[in-house]
Parts: sequence; C-alpha cells; structure tokens
Amino acid sequence: MMGPEVNAYLIVAAFLFATGAAGVLLRRSPLVVLLSLEIMLNGANLALIAFSRRFGELDGQVFALAVMAVAASEVVVGLGLIVAIARRRLDLDVDKLSTLRG
Amino acid sequence: MTTAAWICLLSPLAAALVITLAGTRISRRMAGRLATLSTFVSFGAAVWAFVLMLGRAGDDRREVSTAWTWLTAGELRFDLSILVDPLSVFMMLVISGVGSLIVGYSIGYMDGDDEERRYFAYMALFVFSMLLLVQSANFLLLLAGWGLVGLASYLLIGFNQQRPSAVAAAKKAFIMNAIGDATIALALFLLIWEVGSLSLDFTSGGEGVPLDGTVATLVALGLLGGAVAKSAQIPLHTWLPDAMEGPTPVSALIHAATMVTAGVYMLVRLSPVFEAAPEVQDLAAGLGALTLVVAGLIALVQTDIKRVIAYSTMSQIGYMFLGAGLAAYGNAMFHLMTHAFFKALLFLGAGIVIHALAGEQDMRRMGGLRARLPRTYLAMLVGGLALAGMPPLSGFFSKDSILASALAAGTYGQVLFAAGLLGVFLTGLYTFRMLFIVFGGKASTHVQEHLHVPRRSEPALWMALTVGSLAVLSVIGGWLQIAGVWHPLSDFLHTAAEPKVEPSVTQDWVTAAISVSLGLAGIALAWWFYGARRTKVPEATAIRRALEHKLYFDEAYDALFYRPAAAVAREFGRWIERPLIGGSVSAAAAGARGLGGRVRLAQTGLLRNYALALAGGLAVLTVVFLSLSS
Repeated sequence: MMGPEVNAYLIVAAFLFATGAAGVLLRRSPLVVLLSLEIMLNGANLALIAFSRRFGELDGQVFALAVMAVAASEVVVGLGLIVAIARRRLDLDVDKLSTLRG
Repeated sequence: MTTAAWICLLSPLAAALVITLAGTRISRRMAGRLATLSTFVSFGAAVWAFVLMLGRAGDDRREVSTAWTWLTAGELRFDLSILVDPLSVFMMLVISGVGSLIVGYSIGYMDGDDEERRYFAYMALFVFSMLLLVQSANFLLLLAGWGLVGLASYLLIGFNQQRPSAVAAAKKAFIMNAIGDATIALALFLLIWEVGSLSLDFTSGGEGVPLDGTVATLVALGLLGGAVAKSAQIPLHTWLPDAMEGPTPVSALIHAATMVTAGVYMLVRLSPVFEAAPEVQDLAAGLGALTLVVAGLIALVQTDIKRVIAYSTMSQIGYMFLGAGLAAYGNAMFHLMTHAFFKALLFLGAGIVIHALAGEQDMRRMGGLRARLPRTYLAMLVGGLALAGMPPLSGFFSKDSILASALAAGTYGQVLFAAGLLGVFLTGLYTFRMLFIVFGGKASTHVQEHLHVPRRSEPALWMALTVGSLAVLSVIGGWLQIAGVWHPLSDFLHTAAEPKVEPSVTQDWVTAAISVSLGLAGIALAWWFYGARRTKVPEATAIRRALEHKLYFDEAYDALFYRPAAAVAREFGRWIERPLIGGSVSAAAAGARGLGGRVRLAQTGLLRNYALALAGGLAVLTVVFLSLSS
C-alpha cells in the first residue's frame, strides 16, 4: 500500500499546529480559543500517527488515542466554564476575564 | 523500713494529684480532709519507719532504696532513690507531724474560700516536695526537691492572685531562691567535674569521695549560697517578711516550720563537705549570728503581727545556722524541731487572731484580746515563752544547747555566743512587745467593732484541736533532750552527723542561767514599755527609721542590682535592639516586599499573554534542541 511520503503528513501536522497556535494567540472569544486548542491537539496527533507509520511501531497510535481522551475531557471542562461565564452574563472575551491580575 | 519511707513520700503526692484531677467532683471540705488524711498517713508511715529503725543496731540504720535509674549521661548515672537514715527519718517525723497539724488547721482557716481545692492541692504538693528534699539519696534529687519546695512556696505566697502585693512577694521569693538554686547548681557542676558522682554517700568506701582544698571550699560555698537563700539568712533574707502575704497556715508550715529550715538540714546532711571547708562552716555560723541579731532588732519596730513572727523566724534559724556552723549538729536539729512546734503555734495563734478580727494584721489596731480570746491568749503565751527560752518550755532546752556549744567552740565560738545572748534578750523583748500590744490593754475601737468569736463548728474545731496539740508539743517537746540528764536525740542522729563540739555540763548550766536571766530582762523591759506603759517608748528617730526600713537592704539591692540592670537594658534597647535586631528584621521584610512588588507585574491576568509566553518558550527550546542536535 503506497501513499504520500511521511514528510507530507508532517508538513500538514505542522500547518495544523501553527494554525491552532495562531488562533489561541489572536482570537478573543473563549469558544474559538478552545476550538483552536483542539486543532493544535489534532496537529500533534497527526504527527504522532505519521511517525508511528514511519517507524512501524504502534506506540504513536496508542498515544494519539490517549490524547483524544484527554482532549475530550478538556473540552468538557472548557465548555462548562464558558457556559458558566455566559450564565452570569459576562462578556465572552478572554481579555476582559483578567480578575487574577497580580 | 524503706517501704514505710516510700509510703510517707508518695501519700501527699497522691492527694495532690487526686485533688487536682477530681476538680469540682469533690467538695471543698472533702479536698481539705483528703489533704489532711494524706499527711496523717505520711506521719504514720514516718513513725512506722522510726519504730523499725529503733529495732536495728546503730550501723545498720542507713538504707538506700532505688526505684529505677532516672538519668544516665555517659559515665554519670542518677537513680531515683531515697535514703533512709536517722537524720531523714527525724526530718520526716517533723515535716509530716507538724505538716499534718497545719494542713488540718487550714480546713478551719480556709473555710469558705473560693479556691480551697487549689490551696489544698498546693499544700499536699509542698509536703511531698519537702519530704523528697529530705529523703533524696543524691544531690540531683535533693536539688529537685529544693526547687519543688520553692515552687510550692511561690504558688502559696501568691495564692491570693488578685492582690498585686501577694504576686510581687511571690516573685521576690522565687527570684531570691533562684539565686540560691543557681549557686547549688554551680557547686554540683563542680562536683561532677571533680568527683564524677553526686552521691550523698560520704561514708568510707562510698561514692561521694571526700573533697579537700579549693574544690571543697568552692563546693561548700555554692551549697551555702543555696542554704542561705532558702533559710532567709543575711544577705538573701529579704523575701521572707514579704512572704507573709500568703495565707497564715502557709506562713506557719512553709515559712516557719519546714521549708526555711531546709538550709539547716543541708548544713547537717552535707556536714562532710562543710567540714572539709572549715572557713565556709565558720562563715555559716557567722551569718547565722549576724542574722539572729539583725532580725531581732528589726522585729522590734514591726507593726504587722505576722511580720514580727517572720523576723523572729529568721532570728531563730540564725541560731540553727550558728549551731550547724559550729558542728553542733544534734543541737541544731533539736532547735529545728522545737522551733517548728512553737513557731507554728505562734503563727496559727496569730491566724486565729487575724481571723477573729476580719483579716486585720496591724497590731496597732488590736489590743485587749486577752478577755475576748482567752484560749488563744494562753496558746500564744505558751508559744511566746517557748520562743523566749523560758524553762521548762521547749525553746529553753534547744536554744541553750546551741549557745552552750558556741561557748565550748573556742574564741570564735565565744564571740558568736555573745551575739546569741544579745539575740536572747531581743527575743524576749520583741515577743512580749507583740503579746502585750495584741492581748494587753484595753480593746481598741477596731476590736470592739470587728471582733467575732467563731461559733462551734467543724472548721473551728479543727483550728482549736491543732493549736492545742502544738501548744502541748511546745511545752513538752524540749524534754526530749535535757543537758546533763539525757540526750537521746543527739545519740539518735549521731550516726548521720557526728557533732564536733560537746559542751560540758557546767557550760550548759552557766549558759542556761545567763540566757534565762537575759530573756527575763527582755520580757521585763517589754512589760515596762508595752504592758504597764510606765514610760513612753523612746523615740530614737534615726534608729527607728533605719529599722523600719529593715536596714535598707531592699533599697540597697534596688540601687545595686535592679537600677543598673534596668538602665543597661534600656540603653541596649535603644542602641542595639532597635537599630540592629529590629532593623535587620524590618530590612528583610522590606526587601521581600519590594521584590514581590516587581514580580507581581508579570501576572497580567491576560490569557493570551500566558499563551504567548508558552509559545515563545517552546520556540526557544526548539531552536536550542535543533542547534544542539545538528
């Protein structure tokens, strides 16, 4: 079974990661920040699977499954926080949620 | 024999613990009964030990009983052990005997006080500590007992904690005694250093190796310092008159009959150490003679009935120091015993007077009590005559035996003998001045208004019974030893401490004749001025003022020690404490605060700043790893 080179997968993974990172750094809506985080995680997952394929070991795929589980629970917590913020009718803007300023 | 001694020692401790732990679950009256019972048990055990001891031969009367090893430090080993020998049994008898009478009297005296339970727990604790002091078989346990009696004394002097003067007096007593404790501790360090043992076993082949030379002198000086502080001898005597702030039975038990005589006990118990340092022994005798004269003089102008008796106590302990210092051990212990009887009697009698006058202690507001309190008058008269050394009461035999020993002890002894005779005259004078002022004359307005004779009740019965017993003992106590006739007490104590002076019968009778006539002269003078009031008491303003200020000892200590110490402390506070110690602490605090103020700014609270920092860190790490791996 042949397909594109492993390097091509890695390039896509890096692109996904960079897109996610830019989203986290630049967007102010917590919902979008959370979404961008998921993109970063998926980029990392893609890289793990690509390497797993490259070296013929299953470790990376198993690791990717674990990352998915972590991502799911993280989304639960993050969405819960966002809902709680919305319930209190606060602005959904990460720059305004700065009560913990030193 | 040792079983009895252990029972004697532990029974008051048990009572103290039970009263403390039971708290309000037992009635106040029951606490008093419990404490009294425990001291009577103690006395019974002491008698038991005494009887068993009489059944043994002279050399076999010394026994050490060890409960367990208390402390080990390298080569040193200290046992929790008690020593039963004639001297300790004698002290056990005196302490638990007089102690049980006085604790019983307290049931009447403290009746109705809010804190009776606390009082009786302290009293039982004191009796235990005192017994520990006299029974201990090594120096360490002796020092422990020494400290514990000081603690009990402190607690009981300050028993009325809401009265500032009582608290101040308690602190004063504690501090003065702490000076003595410190000198004893120094002597013990020296003993450990030089001998490597703190055993009291000075018999040949015993662990307490005999000392000589400078070491002996230094050790004896340190021990003498403790004895002088505890027994209120000059120069560490100023706490005793103030200690009269405590309840009267406390004054009778601790500050007359038992604790203050601990110094005399120490001089006798440690006689081998003191005999190795003759100059220290002479110093002890000299201090005793000085104290007995000075205290007698000060007692002449005191107006507080208890303070008169307190100075009299100092004076009488001066006699004991005189005797013990001249190595007349049996006679000193004899006077210790009779003094315990008649001085406790005087204090308890004074307690009845104070009680009947609603707490009044100033003699100038008393008078004419002979008709109102006839039985108390009789008891106080017996005590006063015994104190003044009138035959055939107890004080006559014991005081004269000490004076006769002084007469037999060479030139130095004869100088002290003269001082002792002056003391006898003063004793007659101040004792009967007190009795004539309090009981003679017409009843003052204060007496007419405030006197209430206690009704017959259990408390009053306790007071009457105990005072009566002490009065009987004050009369017959001296017949135990009559110069030239028999001397069972000296024989009994012989194995524990062998006297070095033995007055001849002639010296005894000469002393008796002189001292009785001097005592009578003192009484007659007191009668002239205070009884019959034939002449007004001479003013002698300068002398009177000096005596009323107790010869300026307190003022001198204040100027010599307190003021310089306070001044130094104040200057140190200004120049060292505030800039150096306080300054360094606040500088450290200011530094931490400033640093925190800077670092605080990094915490912006903006999520994207944190994310940027993370991403930046990741980028830097990536660059570093890449450059390292290529």
